[in-house]
Amino acid sequence: MQERIGVFVCKCGPNIGDKIDVDTIVNEVKNIDGVVTAKSHNLLCSNDGLEFLKEEIIKGNLSRVVVAACTPKMYEQKFMNTCEEAGLNPFLFHMTNIREQVAWVTPDKILATEKARKLCLAAINRMSFQEPIEKKEIDVQPDVLVVGGGVAGLEATLTLTAKGRKIILVEKDDSGKTETTESAQFRRVYLVEKSPCIGGVSARFEEVYQTMECAPCMLSPELQEVLQKENVETLTYSEVEEIVGSFGNFTVKIRRKARYVSEEACIGCNACFEPCPIEIPNQYDGGLSKRKAIYLPYAGALPNVPVIDRLNCLHLNGKECNACEQACAFGAINFEDEDRLIEKNVGAIILAVGSKLSDPTQFPQFGYGKYDNVLSAIQLERLNASNGPTGGKILLRNGQEPKSIAFIYCVGRKEKGYCSGICCMYMSALAHHVKEKLPDVKIYSFYTDLCLPKKEHQKIFEKVLAKGVEFIRSDGSEYVDYDGKKLIVKYKTESSVKSVLADMVILAPPVEPAKDIEKLAKLLDIPLDEHGFFSEEHILMKPFGAPLEGVFVVGTCQGPKDIGDSVAQGSASAGKILSRLMLGEKLELEPIVAEIDEEICCGCNTCIGLCPFSAIHRDVEKKVSVIDDTLCRGCGTCVAACPTGATKAKNFTMEQISAEIMEVAK
Amino acid sequence: MPKPKVAFYWCASCGGCEEAIVDLNEDILKVVELVDIVFWPCAMDFKYDDVRKMKDNEITVAFINGAIRTDEQEEMANLLRKKAQIVVAFGSCSHLGGIPGLANFWDRETIFESSYGKGCPSVDNPDGIVPQTVSKVPEGELTLPAFHNTVKSLDQVIDVDYYIPGCAPPPYLTMKAIVAILSGELPEKGAILAPEKTLCDECSLNDSKPEKISIKEIKRISEVISDPEKCFLAEGVICMGPVTRSGCSEEGDGKCISANMPCRGCFGPPPEVKDVGGKMISALASIVGLEGEENMSEEDVEKLINQIVDPAGYFYRFSLPTSLLRRKRMSNPAKEDRYNG
Ligand SMILES: Cc1cc2nc3c(=O)[nH]c(=O)nc-3n(C[C@H](O)[C@H](O)[C@H](O)COP(=O)(O)OP(=O)(O)OC[C@H]3O[C@@H](n4cnc5c(N)ncnc54)[C@H](O)[C@@H]3O)c2cc1C
Ligand code: SF4
Ligand code: SF4
Ligand code: SF4
Repeated sequence: MQERIGVFVCKCGPNIGDKIDVDTIVNEVKNIDGVVTAKSHNLLCSNDGLEFLKEEIIKGNLSRVVVAACTPKMYEQKFMNTCEEAGLNPFLFHMTNIREQVAWVTPDKILATEKARKLCLAAINRMSFQEPIEKKEIDVQPDVLVVGGGVAGLEATLTLTAKGRKIILVEKDDSGKTETTESAQFRRVYLVEKSPCIGGVSARFEEVYQTMECAPCMLSPELQEVLQKENVETLTYSEVEEIVGSFGNFTVKIRRKARYVSEEACIGCNACFEPCPIEIPNQYDGGLSKRKAIYLPYAGALPNVPVIDRLNCLHLNGKECNACEQACAFGAINFEDEDRLIEKNVGAIILAVGSKLSDPTQFPQFGYGKYDNVLSAIQLERLNASNGPTGGKILLRNGQEPKSIAFIYCVGRKEKGYCSGICCMYMSALAHHVKEKLPDVKIYSFYTDLCLPKKEHQKIFEKVLAKGVEFIRSDGSEYVDYDGKKLIVKYKTESSVKSVLADMVILAPPVEPAKDIEKLAKLLDIPLDEHGFFSEEHILMKPFGAPLEGVFVVGTCQGPKDIGDSVAQGSASAGKILSRLMLGEKLELEPIVAEIDEEICCGCNTCIGLCPFSAIHRDVEKKVSVIDDTLCRGCGTCVAACPTGATKAKNFTMEQISAEIMEVAK
Repeated sequence: MPKPKVAFYWCASCGGCEEAIVDLNEDILKVVELVDIVFWPCAMDFKYDDVRKMKDNEITVAFINGAIRTDEQEEMANLLRKKAQIVVAFGSCSHLGGIPGLANFWDRETIFESSYGKGCPSVDNPDGIVPQTVSKVPEGELTLPAFHNTVKSLDQVIDVDYYIPGCAPPPYLTMKAIVAILSGELPEKGAILAPEKTLCDECSLNDSKPEKISIKEIKRISEVISDPEKCFLAEGVICMGPVTRSGCSEEGDGKCISANMPCRGCFGPPPEVKDVGGKMISALASIVGLEGEENMSEEDVEKLINQIVDPAGYFYRFSLPTSLLRRKRMSNPAKEDRYNG
């Protein structure tokens, strides 16, 4: 059948009209075989113009439409919709750019007209290879993956699962009788936490600003709720290994590391700890206490089920020991346990993997690692915690109470190039708690700048001042020495070099990205910022959306912040998901995807590793590669690479592109 | 009924394709039983005049091997086209331009210079004499066919009905083609009488390939002791298998592959591919240094790519005249003669 092509050249007011002789082009293309209509319009994208286009398509019974106008980036979709309204498959439409690529860059009218003419001819030449493409839909996947069980991840999880949705289905049978069925749908959340317990760093702090509340008490109801909620699957001691897909349809592979303790059988009596002969520093206490090879990160950690650390367990390293197994009255120990890979389908992903304090040995002037009583703030937090290594007592390494403590703020801020924002407050809060416990202790706080931005902060700071903490402004060049008995903090003020003696020094090193952040960024192909935190889509307008649809970066993995801000982001990301990922909705798939012709594919595997969206796999039986069209986004990488020509990108086939090139190159 | 008449002719070729006919072994007797060979200058005594005297279309099928590089070859190709009902381009040179087609990286002048000029170590030619189409000698005039600037495939000179690819074509494909033609079971005109899938499809080494291929280093076959169980390409030795039609060996598995050599591409591209070299380059560029690509500097990339020795000759070994490149630009376009087409 001969195609009935319509060509519409837009003048874009004076933009194109003044620079290109549109009428000449229209008159010439009229005579081309297959072109039944060729017309110009003053402003095709206006409502008028679109109505005109629609009428022309219907009137001319057009089977192909070419529009020569501005860049397709502006109004291609609008024109495609108009084609659809006129009953024409939108992929039988093609747009050629004679504004940005001709009118605006070629001042000579004769040359510009010639160039535009060629582009129109090229577009027309392509039309006989144009094929209709049908749009495909799949059920949207309403479930959500939350990575990281700190305050941000917990809040997101609870917001997402707060309510289900009632679905009322009305069906008519043949006799016309209607029947109504009701069902409830719930969104599931898979909460993946790398450590053996949920709660994140804040669950390890005794008292937190601004409320000076006990953090474990504050968090406990939330933790319990998450663990007990039917539609939350909490996967502790687990990590995400692979993510493919896109918004509404991600497939995630999760590694559940072997715990060697059955979560079902264990009642949390902790009888197994005592008999274990292994002792190693507990990283959850900043190394201030020892733990066994079978352990809980801290007393009261939830879920209350220990893990066996396979690196250090004797039994798991081929030695003879089953002390814990013997101690367990419930048969919960299982040395045969193995890592398991599980797969989940989700529609959106929230990354809430938090951050950590930098290792202070990077800043050797403070003597951390060299002098016993120089501690990182996180260690003092643990000393202060009633479930910590000293049961909440502030003690020196030798077991005595300190008489003087120096707090050094802003450690490493210059080197890192950013202010962590929370240190001034937690250091002040810590000083306050220490003063409550040891009223006679002398506290010096060395700061360069104080950051007290929120409505409660000033008040807390004044409270700390009132407790008699001495704030000393220095220029950031503090230096810690040791005279054999006491630590000496040397510092510079505007006029002179001074020093104080202290039994203990507390450092506030910078908050830096969690260790796994790079791995996750790579899995999802999302960017990190210059400091290594996740980049947000727009720091002001979309401060927690990653630049990839359906992926959110919340809490301190996006940048340092306090609990309140982390919770707010967790909640907000859940809100975004609730409003966009509706239960029971359909998701339109990218129509312009690549396909592999199995009659041509030689199974050389060239394409498989190239796909940025892991959309290609090998069909082992047929020995060919196959593209999953729910994952393909039509980037064309595989098409360019395929040595046999088996891979074709819809709407950008070799025939279509060569037809255009041949025409312009004539 | 008289037996169908068959002709064989050679143009710019090495003689391997003639050998391939002889390689039909006892099958050639079957052929001789079925047909009359009316022209085969390489093997039997025929004169060009014998052909000129034939009626148009008198020959059933003419198999022409070799590329077209001289006047004489062009003339004979035209003559055989006139006298034969079916013309088969036989072998890579006739099909794609072949090895002689690599001369398109030069022109007549530079070729004569390197073959007869001072720079040629094996020629003692103090007077700098180069071949002339006409030379006067006391006895009269001597003539030689004119030597073109550009080498062409057969179908760039005459209309071709079928192609049998290969350097040289395997006897089983030749026999299959002869049987098909004689029995009148003719495929569509223009068909290439070989499988459409490329070599990896039947290559026994393909299963050894990892799913995600990343080439860390590119090596020449002479620089490695290749593991006969492993895909050349995945090991960094460029194999043209992915862009080359299969069928070179009746047993499956490429002929070169089973001799522990990478595929060189003599069977030419599959139907969807217009330019073998371009396709292979884009495939290779996609997988070279894929692993850890983000950590590579421009210099690292350049170093890796520079490990490909003579890329143009490697990727266009058999197909330069029929590729999109066709030939190197003439150093002096004014000297382009009518043979540059
Ligand atoms: C010393 C110190 C004192 C502080 N004091 C206060 C205070 O008094 N008041 C206040 O408001 N804020 C305080 N903060 C800040 C507060 O701790 C953070 O704002 C809060 O913990 C951030 O929560 P989050 O959920 O983003 O991250 P986190 O609490 O860090 O939780 C992240 C979770 O993700 C897990 N995770 C990491 N990697 C992976 C992975 N690859 N896969 C799965 N899970 C992973 C971690 O194990 C962790 O459980 C303090 C911070 C520090 C360092
Ligand atoms: S076009 Fe190819 S490489 Fe790109 S997304 Fe689709 S399958 Fe992957
Ligand atoms: S690159 Fe092409 S031929 Fe090779 S496996 Fe992929 S689709 Fe098949
Ligand atoms: S050796 Fe060559 S033909 Fe065989 S699988 Fe590897 S690339 Fe393909």
